[in-house]
Amino acid sequence: MTTSFEWTLPRGTIIRGKWKQGSYRVDRLLGEGANGKVFLVERERERMLYALKIGSDTVDLQSEVNVLQSIARQKQKRSGGGSRTGAFLVDVDDFRGSDGKEHPFYVMRYIKGLTLGDYLVRNGKEWFPVVGFNLLGKLAELHEAGWTFGDLKVENVLVGDYGRPELVDYGGATAFGKGVRQFTEIYDRGYWNAGTRTADASYDLFSFAVLCLQLHESRRLAQLSAGLLPQTRTPDELAKLAATSAALKPFSGWLRKALYGEFANAREAAAAWQQWMHRAGTVPASAPAPRWMKGLFAVSAAVLATTIYWLLRSAP
Amino acid sequence: MKQILLVTDGCSNVGVSPVVAAAQAHAVGITVNVVGVVDQGDIAEFGTAEIEEIARAGGGLSRLTQTRQLSQTVQMLTRKTVVQTIQHAVQRELKHVLGASTIEELPPEKRGEVVRVIDDLSETSRLRVALLIDASASMKPKLHAVEEAIRDLALSLQSRQGGSEIAVFHFPGSAYGEDCKLDLDWTDNISGVHSLFPRLQMRGTTPTGPAILHVIDFYQKGDYGNRKNDETDGMMSDYVV
Repeated sequence: MTTSFEWTLPRGTIIRGKWKQGSYRVDRLLGEGANGKVFLVERERERMLYALKIGSDTVDLQSEVNVLQSIARQKQKRSGGGSRTGAFLVDVDDFRGSDGKEHPFYVMRYIKGLTLGDYLVRNGKEWFPVVGFNLLGKLAELHEAGWTFGDLKVENVLVGDYGRPELVDYGGATAFGKGVRQFTEIYDRGYWNAGTRTADASYDLFSFAVLCLQLHESRRLAQLSAGLLPQTRTPDELAKLAATSAALKPFSGWLRKALYGEFANAREAAAAWQQWMHRAGTVPASAPAPRWMKGLFAVSAAVLATTIYWLLRSAP
Repeated sequence: MKQILLVTDGCSNVGVSPVVAAAQAHAVGITVNVVGVVDQGDIAEFGTAEIEEIARAGGGLSRLTQTRQLSQTVQMLTRKTVVQTIQHAVQRELKHVLGASTIEELPPEKRGEVVRVIDDLSETSRLRVALLIDASASMKPKLHAVEEAIRDLALSLQSRQGGSEIAVFHFPGSAYGEDCKLDLDWTDNISGVHSLFPRLQMRGTTPTGPAILHVIDFYQKGDYGNRKNDETDGMMSDYVV
């Protein structure tokens, strides 16, 4: 989905709220969601960094704010009040842009980190199991508050120090039982004919499984998606891809369950993931034989067989 | 809520103006959205202007899109129109209750509740979308993508809380002088439908206006599909799997 929000805000621009006069200085563009752009800003006087999302559609953006507020409220209730999550949303206001139009914006806590893909490239794939486990924990927390994240993808997971992930862009967050508000085709359960788009825990777990494929087999996943007809896209194809991937093989069983919606909830999925994670950690991974060596072995075995065959035949 | 979603790649060339037809639809409470499918920039400037005008007259939205983005565009327009329709209705109430005529006039603290109501109604209200597909010769290579987009839309609508139904038409019809043909009567589940456009014979004319009028008629006689079942010849029988 696209927005009609095409302009950008140069570094140093001051965004002053129309209603509450909060004032923010733009540092740089952090990213782009379906409903608007996210900038890194510094609150004037306070000199603290925040993330500011500005859009063009008041209803769309307010709807996101509602989701964030109700998640924060529910979390606060669960943790007995006074939790740090309450401060997630800092300000909601309007800004008159250089085009003369008023744009709604909201300000939230700035999450420092790399997108999941970049994090693993920089720090190594060995971080993948623990980041994945933490991410399942985040999803479980959200699900227990009654929400599906919806648009789970590599770009929407930021990872901070020591593999601590945060979900960003709640534009797709949907209360359980409603139609998922925003999704990305390749991560979407409906796109793969694996179920509805009704928000539930297994919708996110399906996307999580695709996210694993995307991290380790992005090229083959893209080829698979492009090569199949709409009616032949099935979770079987994804499970097959997982089973034939050297990197994903150890937990292709886990992926299978996620793809077929067999986990009751994210906690159960996290527990299964943890078992796999420990196994992977304790058993020293023996370096797999390189492909050329396997090939050579096959060839020599064939030669041996032929030789024996000839020997037997030529024997008097 | 009633919508017509027109998918076309060019200009109408027969019969009543589609802009007039769309205005008629709007007048009886049907919103008209238009998706223009452009692949090699093959839409004339005149076509683009017509697409925008049809949507404006029909109280809906229009977008130009490439074939591969068709599914997303169709869903985005449908969803946005639902929200807008609700928003207009809510805004009328706003005037009475809060003295503000638009949501933007309300301070942010007061918007939350209003938007919650809009979101809730958008999700739960009953929705009908009649898809009207231009099947003139130039659309032929795009019909696969159109069918995929329709199935994808049906899946999304099925996942809503409110009841949703779609119907599918193409124009011109196969018989001589037939402006529009029903391919699929109101349904909330098309997964059992084998092929939406079996054996289409493409013809050159593009009677967009008459086709829109035909769909308005269909909306107004709710039992159209049942009554005319015999006349829709082989097309309907193909859906029984």
